[in-house]
Amino acid sequence: MRKIVVGLTIAGMVVGGVYAQQKKAQPKREEAVKPEEVMQVLKTGLSSDPRFAWKLNQDEAQKICSKYKSREEMPAKELQRVIQLSQQSIAYPQWGIYWGDWKEGQKIVDSPSGGRYASYGFSDSPTAKGGNCYACHLIEKGKPGGTMGPNLYGYGKKWGISKENMNSPEAVEKLKAVYNIVYNSWSAFPCSSMPRFGYHGNLSTNDVMNVVTYLLHPESPVNK
Amino acid sequence: MKKRLLLALFTAGAVAGGLLSTKAFAQQDQELSPEEEIRLVQEFNRMLAEGVNPGEVWYEVGKEAIKKYNLDKCDLGLGPGNFKGAMAQLPRYFQDAGKVMDLETRVGWCLQKHAGMKPEEVQKFVKQCWGKSGNCMSEYDAIIMYLTMESNGYKVNVNLKDPRVKKMYEIGKQAFQTRLGPWDFNCATCHAGKQEVRIRATRLWSVDRPGEVGSAVVIFPKYLVRWGLPMSMHYRYAECIRQMRWPEFIPHSDLGVALSAYLYGSANGTEIKAPGIGR
Ligand code: HEC
Ligand code: HEC
Repeated sequence: MRKIVVGLTIAGMVVGGVYAQQKKAQPKREEAVKPEEVMQVLKTGLSSDPRFAWKLNQDEAQKICSKYKSREEMPAKELQRVIQLSQQSIAYPQWGIYWGDWKEGQKIVDSPSGGRYASYGFSDSPTAKGGNCYACHLIEKGKPGGTMGPNLYGYGKKWGISKENMNSPEAVEKLKAVYNIVYNSWSAFPCSSMPRFGYHGNLSTNDVMNVVTYLLHPESPVNK
Repeated sequence: MKKRLLLALFTAGAVAGGLLSTKAFAQQDQELSPEEEIRLVQEFNRMLAEGVNPGEVWYEVGKEAIKKYNLDKCDLGLGPGNFKGAMAQLPRYFQDAGKVMDLETRVGWCLQKHAGMKPEEVQKFVKQCWGKSGNCMSEYDAIIMYLTMESNGYKVNVNLKDPRVKKMYEIGKQAFQTRLGPWDFNCATCHAGKQEVRIRATRLWSVDRPGEVGSAVVIFPKYLVRWGLPMSMHYRYAECIRQMRWPEFIPHSDLGVALSAYLYGSANGTEIKAPGIGR
């Protein structure tokens, strides 16, 4: 019972901000050109290499998000739909939620590579994977990062995680809430600029678990 | 005088580079060491202080290449060989091709018409220095540099009253918003919003802040100190699209034209000042 309350509060914390902002939602959109026509132009301008054809399948959530310049413009129905699709998509590690290896997580957080391909010179190796998190976030004190996303200094402390409570059911709920954000950011922040790392398979469930451990673990440099 | 000296230096470098095997054309590095970064910034500052922009070397080479490839017959919309101010009114609709084209797409079309290149040859010609750094001289980049610089001082004036141009503008505008690919990006992820953001150390321009599209596009081709070559607009599209983890961008495609129609259309009134220079 207590578990559920904590879970709900956490979900509320994350999603609450979203709903509060979008009171006067109204879709703004020129209908002169149809989305299909735009997709057509996009497809003829991008390589048809069969290895990457899958990248051009726009999913329902991407379709919705393409329609609005910001979250504030989105009608509640569309917001809910994106959240719903995203929550449904979340998969967990085989053993459920656990404390992973923050050092492994750190490697993924630090690495900018993965998925960048071009025939003209510089491509990532097919197995390279990274979250490129520093492009958008400040994470460890003293390491330069971007400002597109929020500052994650002391992120585990912000969630109130300490050595003493880290194995409590509440802490595990928190681990899960952050797992959900990294696995599919749109489950908490619909249409965020933050990629849906686990959903697309850029990172595996265990990778995500390690990344979340890195963000929350009391021993991790994030929380020093 | 200074220009001549630069040209001579450059050519000597290119020749020496060529002799040193293809290794001289190193891959463009993603991550630079801090020392390398500092050296580049110093070199960049020096070039700015001296008012030297090596991009101008490409102008001279471009002038020759125009003759070599019969492009004095090329019509950019103001008549064959009439290049002064021509860039400023692009993209525009071309009757002979039956479509809207931007500068680079039009040059590709002219290379087919007047230099007898096949479409595949044009693609190779365009990309000859892509992904390379260190004294790579591309006649294509030179042609684009020459043609753009012939419009320096002119104000961008894309005719959005022409419904065919306006349509490409609208497609470009929506393409800019389209979320796609395994990283869910659209162009707006990085180039929209009132609030200024940085991706790592780089400050990003935004379509939502007045004047910023204009100042971003009028400096192209932009000379990049770290690669030692000028980057054309279609190369810029390709690089952003690579970062977005989309499949590779095809230069001279309608996608390129649509993006240009949107970006240059939004830049109307801004004075062309090529080449820009950046780290
Ligand atoms: C392209 C930009 C981008 C990248 C890359 C990115 N993020 Fe984010 N992130 C954001 C933005 C923007 C938000 C804020 C959510 C919103 O309002 O849309 C965010 C939010 C978050 C949050 C929630 C913060 C809170 O308020 O509780 C976490 C945790 C997070 N990111 C972790 C990561 C990790 C870990 C990675 C890499 C694996 C990463 N991010 C990569 C843009 C990014
Ligand atoms: C993941 C982030 C990201 C995305 C998405 C992105 N860009 Fe960029 N863009 C950049 C960065 C970084 C620069 C380099 C800015 C600099 O060097 O000052 C840049 C530069 C540019 C420039 C040149 C500005 C200048 O002064 O050099 C143009 C034009 C541009 N982008 C267009 C686009 C278009 C069109 C798209 C979508 C097809 C796009 N970008 C998507 C990150 C991005």
